Amino acid sequence: MPEKIDFSTISFLIVDSNPLSIELVRDILGMLGATATRSAMTVDRARKMLRRDPADIVITEHHLEPEDGLVLIDWIRNAAESPDRMTPVIMLTANSEQSYVTQARDIGVTEFLAKPFNVESLYRRLVSVIARPRSFVNAEDYFGPDRRRRQVLRGGTDRRSGER
Amino acid sequence: MSRRAQIIPPRVELMRKAINATKGIDLKLTPETVHQMEQVVHRSRDKFVNDIAARLAVMRGSLERLDAPGQRPVLDELYQHSLAIKGAGGTIGFDLLTLIGKSLNDFVAGQTRLDKRQVAVVSLHIDALYTVLANNVSGPGGAVEAAVIEAFDEVNERFKMARPSDSRGT
Repeated sequence: MPEKIDFSTISFLIVDSNPLSIELVRDILGMLGATATRSAMTVDRARKMLRRDPADIVITEHHLEPEDGLVLIDWIRNAAESPDRMTPVIMLTANSEQSYVTQARDIGVTEFLAKPFNVESLYRRLVSVIARPRSFVNAEDYFGPDRRRRQVLRGGTDRRSGER
Repeated sequence: MSRRAQIIPPRVELMRKAINATKGIDLKLTPETVHQMEQVVHRSRDKFVNDIAARLAVMRGSLERLDAPGQRPVLDELYQHSLAIKGAGGTIGFDLLTLIGKSLNDFVAGQTRLDKRQVAVVSLHIDALYTVLANNVSGPGGAVEAAVIEAFDEVNERFKMARPSDSRGT
């Protein structure tokens, strides 16, 4: 029997300054069966909502004002008051150039999806964070999902260690 | 001395509570589910088209204010709206809106002041966006559209070379 995802068990927070983008993602999640979907248009509001009631998955734009989506990810990953430092974060953004992808990865994003997006790509990101969770790395200068996509067992020294 | 990196095993709570054999959406996406999701996007298409049309009207108004001193707020507006159009166009099937929106977004990113020639370039972008929307040109278009995009790219490259440095839009 094929495995299924019961989206009604998962809570989402969508962070985007464009109400139409929020509505579209919320409608897609609703079609998939999600019932607990909240939204915020600023990072400050998102922080307040997450402190009050954490979400299982955060979907955020990069381009937000006055603070951008990277600030939100940094807060989730590193702030003392973060409700869950390992919350999966999908960045869904029109800022899709490689430099933005790198910035997001280095601050601890779980998945990155460029706008314009198609529904299959969004679904794949959702499956990835739900069904294929990644190890986390807790290092001096980074806390977030393991940035090595393929989990390869290596011999030799730990490349992340400063003790080379 | 740096401390060693700690590897924290994947957390499986989300998987445990959501993955099952009876209820929900197949993990492996089926054509029916894709179709249903696309229907959701399709239903939102008119709202996005109206939103883009409203943004273009605002951008057209912004252009007139570019003659006044203190262009930065106007350029910020153009940046925001072009980024929104770049992000929305392709999602609802208007790939050309995304391509032209991206070109305009790249053009105004990092700018603090535009001269008359640059204002004309912005104006051409807005005209092109209007044309695509008015003629309901979905998809990437044909040879003419490709030539327009190529011309915009070339203009972008030329002005980029003449620009001292970008402060925004990395």
